[in-house]
Amino acid sequence: MTILAGIGFTSPWLLLGLLALPILWLILRAIPPAPIRRRFPGVALLLGLTDDESVTDRTPLWLLLLRMLAVAAVIAGLAGPVLNPQQDRGGSGPLLILLDASWAGATRWPEKIDLIDAQLTDAGRTGRPVSILRLTAPEEPAFQSADIWASRLAGLAPAPWQPDSRQIDATLAAISTVDGGFETLWLSDGLAHDGRETLLAALEDRGAVRVFETGREVLGLAPARFEDGAVQLTLRRSLGGPEREVTVLAQGLDPAGTARILATATAGFAEGGTEAQAALSLPSELRARITRFEIQGQRSAGALTLTDDSLRRREVALIAGREDREGLELLSPLHYLNQALAPTADLLDGALLDILPANPDAIVLADVATLSTAEEEALTDWIDGGGMLLRFAGPRLAASDISRADEHPLMPVRLRAGGRSVGGAMSWGEPKALAPFAEGSPFFGLAVPEDVTVSAQVMAQPDPTLADRVIAALSDGTPLVTRKPLGQGQVILFHVTANAEWSSLPLSGLFVEMLERLAVSSSSRTPQAEDLEGTTWRPLQVMDGFGKLSDAGTLPGVDGAELVSAPVGPDLRPGLYASEDRRLARNVLADDSMLTAAVWPDRIPVEGLSVRKELPLGGGLLGLAVVLLALDAIASLALSGRLVATRATAAILLTALWLAQPQPLHAQDESRTQEQAEADAFALAATAELVLAHVLTGDEDLDQIAQAGLRGLSDTLFYRTSVEPAAPVGIDLERDELAFFPMLYWPITPNQPTPSAEAYGKLNAYLRSGGLILFDTRDADIARLGGTSPNGRKLQQLAAPLDIPPLEPLPADHVLTRTFYLLQDFPGRHTAREIWVEAAPPDAQQIEGMPFRNLNDGVTPVVIGGNDWAGAWAVDGNGRPLLPVGRGFAGERQRELAYRFGINLVMHVLTGNYKSDQVHVPALLDRLGQ
Amino acid sequence: MNQPNALRERSENEASRLPPLLARAEHLAGTVLLGDHGRRRAGLGDDFWQYRPAQSGDSRRMIDHRRSARGDQQFVREREWQIAQSVMFWVDQGASMRFASHDNLPTKADRARLLVLATAIVLVRGGERVGLTGTALPPRRGNPQILRLAEAFSKDAPQDYAAPEHRAMIPHARAVFISDFLGDMAEVELALTKAADRGVRGVVLQVLDPSEELFPFRGRTIFESVGGTLRHETLKAGDLRDRYLDRLAERKERLAQLCRTTGWHLGLHHTGDSAQSALLWLYRALDRGTA
Repeated sequence: MTILAGIGFTSPWLLLGLLALPILWLILRAIPPAPIRRRFPGVALLLGLTDDESVTDRTPLWLLLLRMLAVAAVIAGLAGPVLNPQQDRGGSGPLLILLDASWAGATRWPEKIDLIDAQLTDAGRTGRPVSILRLTAPEEPAFQSADIWASRLAGLAPAPWQPDSRQIDATLAAISTVDGGFETLWLSDGLAHDGRETLLAALEDRGAVRVFETGREVLGLAPARFEDGAVQLTLRRSLGGPEREVTVLAQGLDPAGTARILATATAGFAEGGTEAQAALSLPSELRARITRFEIQGQRSAGALTLTDDSLRRREVALIAGREDREGLELLSPLHYLNQALAPTADLLDGALLDILPANPDAIVLADVATLSTAEEEALTDWIDGGGMLLRFAGPRLAASDISRADEHPLMPVRLRAGGRSVGGAMSWGEPKALAPFAEGSPFFGLAVPEDVTVSAQVMAQPDPTLADRVIAALSDGTPLVTRKPLGQGQVILFHVTANAEWSSLPLSGLFVEMLERLAVSSSSRTPQAEDLEGTTWRPLQVMDGFGKLSDAGTLPGVDGAELVSAPVGPDLRPGLYASEDRRLARNVLADDSMLTAAVWPDRIPVEGLSVRKELPLGGGLLGLAVVLLALDAIASLALSGRLVATRATAAILLTALWLAQPQPLHAQDESRTQEQAEADAFALAATAELVLAHVLTGDEDLDQIAQAGLRGLSDTLFYRTSVEPAAPVGIDLERDELAFFPMLYWPITPNQPTPSAEAYGKLNAYLRSGGLILFDTRDADIARLGGTSPNGRKLQQLAAPLDIPPLEPLPADHVLTRTFYLLQDFPGRHTAREIWVEAAPPDAQQIEGMPFRNLNDGVTPVVIGGNDWAGAWAVDGNGRPLLPVGRGFAGERQRELAYRFGINLVMHVLTGNYKSDQVHVPALLDRLGQ
Repeated sequence: MNQPNALRERSENEASRLPPLLARAEHLAGTVLLGDHGRRRAGLGDDFWQYRPAQSGDSRRMIDHRRSARGDQQFVREREWQIAQSVMFWVDQGASMRFASHDNLPTKADRARLLVLATAIVLVRGGERVGLTGTALPPRRGNPQILRLAEAFSKDAPQDYAAPEHRAMIPHARAVFISDFLGDMAEVELALTKAADRGVRGVVLQVLDPSEELFPFRGRTIFESVGGTLRHETLKAGDLRDRYLDRLAERKERLAQLCRTTGWHLGLHHTGDSAQSALLWLYRALDRGTA
């Protein structure tokens, strides 16, 4: 390959063809364009006219240049130009590609893979055997042909830890098994780690070493802490570069359970600084939802930190059975609990039944013996759902009969009557100390201070289950703390009081630690190794080098002390660990881990990661030539006047160009504004005048009848009353706003669609705000109301989600009977008498001398019947009745009554209980007379 | 294709050409106010002119008894004198007329036939006799003559530039010559002078395509007549434009000169313009001649 001006040519001799261009120029200049044949009657006038010049029109200069350019592009394209030609780097013999493969390189991993790919291609071209070795997961180097490695590239992934001394040793051992020398390419992640120099020396013994490094800084996020009422985030970087702002995202589940960004914080690195701080002040509810923090734009395990209990503040409800001893604060059963929990938990105060809906994490009952049945049931439900009930004994519990003969569901054990007292003035023996916590107890590993003594306690009955339920005991073996699981939750009983009356346990630090272990409280400080002594932690989720969380599956549990002290590695993967109810996150970076940039000796060549790909230009140039020649064809046609014939082609081209244009982005906006305009027009039409409305059922005939019926009713109203409605409209429940209509007519058909939940929300709001729906099953001729007909069943199904008050058959003194006309029956096309309206209040009574009861205020939200009123009201465009009603004159009378019912109904909707107030007329008249 | 079928197809094609042309011509003619040419004097005719007292020499049957019964005097009902003119048409059927420079423009022949037919319809409604020059279709009255005219127009002449037909001209009749007049002017001159000798006067309408007036051509071009008999090659069509236009103007001038000497009306119509204006002009020109 020959390189000219940075561009390589595969066959440079072809470029000599460019020399022929001037000759082409002359030829093109000399040859005139082909003549056009034209039909022209005026040729008779032309005969005998000669041309002034014998030289034809020349090809215009620009067209000439266009053609020359096309030819030049063809020649250059055939010469095979290549941008960024790859030079042979030399080197021979086996090649070892060594990867740090730690989290620090995860963000730019695809570039690394590209680089390895390029190296493998090179090696494959020269036939060098290659081996790839990852420092974070060392294996014996196997020198194989490059294409075998190329097929395995996709499987290479960074590990979420840094290579430590064990892995360096393993690498050294692996290298020592290789015979002979090899060249080494070391793809460093840019972070220093132990043993690097040793490894470098060992590699240099075998051959040349080249190092690839991005030269970019590595960002890391230290575990989040909760201090000063805010979440403190510490960011570190490996190089003290220029000033830089970094955004940290707080990810978590929103109340709907979908993962989303709950908050963002910005941290600024000062110029040259390697550490940045960000504080995120969040409500505790929101804080508890956060599952992890991550640096925006970074894709590595180190730029992500998981949150655990240290960010959570548990909600604990404290309830005491005895609050009567006012002023004796230190004797209050809750004082020590308050002291122990206040720094780390949110305390709830209140009645038990008020607290339960808040779903606290734990409820503490201090010396509460009896609970009401309702409280007990609610409490049991709450525990079943995962709550923790923590009970403390006391005089009341000891004196009560609870859990005496049979084990109470909310007590872990049966209790003996009275309890016992040891070491007091009136008893034998010494106050008892605590026994060391047994293995398997949640308290296992906590040191027992010697000065903690118990002088009184309630005693558990020795039941068969007792041994399993004891999690802490006194030195003489009597249970101190017992626990039993209940549903998904648990009930724990401290056999002593929560104050210092019966023991000195609440005075000791052990009390707080025990509460922590029980996850009643959670400490905001990072647990130390000794705190977790004896606990075993089960991995819940572990992350890979990219910071992607996955289910831990069958990974083995980890000892508590090791979890906080050991470095992360293949045996201790970073992730979220759980023990009982507690959660502990092990992150890649610890609080104190620093990111140090790797420094290489001067003798080692360090190259950047960027691979400049070979870019063959030949295809592009030939394509350009084709485009130019196409342009030339069009231009030649245009010049010779023949483009007219190809006008259709031009139209097609123009159309294609227009189609190829990106669609206007604001199309959506336009449609939205149009939607808005439509909604506005609808609202204006519906509110400018009174409009009766019917619900569109999707049955076209039925909808037309309903429309015609309301039109008839509107006309009748217009003629007879001062209500002057405009033309009625059909309402689509899903789309249209209901609030504009005083009344909806809803005919029922068995196959109409059930409205969506949103539509039901609108309907309920409509009913609550004074709207009226007239349901019409239209089948009173064949069925009575109530589920016996398909329409009735459909009505029940439709109305079930509606907020409808109790109903009753329309009473004879209902206000509907006299809002405009005095009516006894309410016929439509059918004459059933059964119409249901909102029930009168139970205290409505007939008063002597009054014609009507003083019935409900307001408008009944629904009227339900089956008389097919719309059918009786329906008129055609000329005002003639559309459907027959009854027979002869009696039928017309029935239609008249149907209209009267409609008028009464509209009057009722519009005037409410105005006519009902006539109940008081006699009384008012009476008063006026005096 | 066998013989009867081919004949049938061709005759269908021919027949289909007639009605649209006729319909368009009728439509166009409907826009022009029509009527008999009253002579403004008593004579033979259908319309009432005046009552005059009967004079000696009037035959008895000329007496209008309805008018005379009103009094003692006897009246004769006179009618307005109406005469029918013979109008002869010549439309250039040559190949040069079958030319349109653009798809949206009608050919010159189409426009010329349309104008002639429309004029003929107007004239026939006015009671005149219409026909073609020459012996093929002598002037007659009535609607069947329109059909015969239309049929005659459906035949194209093979030659490139047709010469005006000047045989069998009826003395003192009217004539309408429509052509592009791009052919031999000597023939035109002969026809017009011969007509003038016989006392025939009329209208010459030159129909041109817009491109013939503008000559919008450039570059190396071979011009061919529509029939293909004439051709002219040029290397620079643009340079010919001025000289072509000069020749065209010269020809128009010669035509105008000819019309002046023979007393004919000369009109110019472009196929890009509306046919109605041309028809109105034609009608007025004929009307002026007869008035």
